Amino acid sequence: MNEQHPKSADASVGDQGGTNKARTGANGNTRNTGPGRLLIAVYAVFAISATARAGYQILTKFSDAPVAYLLSAFAALVYAVATVSLAKSGSTWFKVSVAAVLVELIGVVVVGSLSIFDSVAFPHETVWSLFGRGYGFIPLILPVLGLVWLYRRRPSLGKADR
Amino acid sequence: MDAFFYIILAVGLLSTVICLAAGIMKKAPNDATILSVAAVEVALVVYLVGSIIRVIAGETIAGEAWEFWGYLVTAMLLPPAAVYWSILERTRWSNFVLAAVGVTALVMAARMNQIWY
Repeated sequence: MNEQHPKSADASVGDQGGTNKARTGANGNTRNTGPGRLLIAVYAVFAISATARAGYQILTKFSDAPVAYLLSAFAALVYAVATVSLAKSGSTWFKVSVAAVLVELIGVVVVGSLSIFDSVAFPHETVWSLFGRGYGFIPLILPVLGLVWLYRRRPSLGKADR
Repeated sequence: MDAFFYIILAVGLLSTVICLAAGIMKKAPNDATILSVAAVEVALVVYLVGSIIRVIAGETIAGEAWEFWGYLVTAMLLPPAAVYWSILERTRWSNFVLAAVGVTALVMAARMNQIWY
């Protein structure tokens, strides 16, 4: 990563803040810093928008498509869990993050495929319909970036440095 | 699409470009990026005040009114939240967080326009 240049030409105060601390050991949180902050911010936006959308769908027209709208609510929950777990330190939260991001990836692929190949059964929009096309395909890209990030900052690195 | 949308389109895109450029140039959040996000907030306040005046003047919202106001209030929470998040850790990555505000506000303004008309 290009964060490892403590005395860079860029004179901005605090530009390296947190990076050194984050690298100092297995107990320090290495996930909610640097690019991880961007990831958490995007997950937070999706948690909010998916929650609002699912809440709206369930409150106003739940009987139209209960399965699709429950799926929306489930997606919102997954985004919320991912947001919180990415921001927390420790190996338990790391596992929660991996689980949430994996569920998200499976969800977007399965629901995305179903919405294309079985559009009669899935006519109602969810965040994951058409691989998240309504959200600029970010729901499809986000879990991949999340897994890459989690792999690069996996807890075993802090102990063995392999 | 009305003038409110085009104001947010212009301000939002400008803010996103400024913040992306700063992030790519490995700068920490500075006056330019934070003020550009503040400008997005100002544009949203203009939308809010304008919408209140239009409702008082007798215009009706075609879609669900509470959905429109929900979008507007949520959009107005984004710039302060992103600025807060970015100054907690002043690295280049925080500029990418700030960059997300402009496009998000833009998408939400487009949706608000759809609901209104």
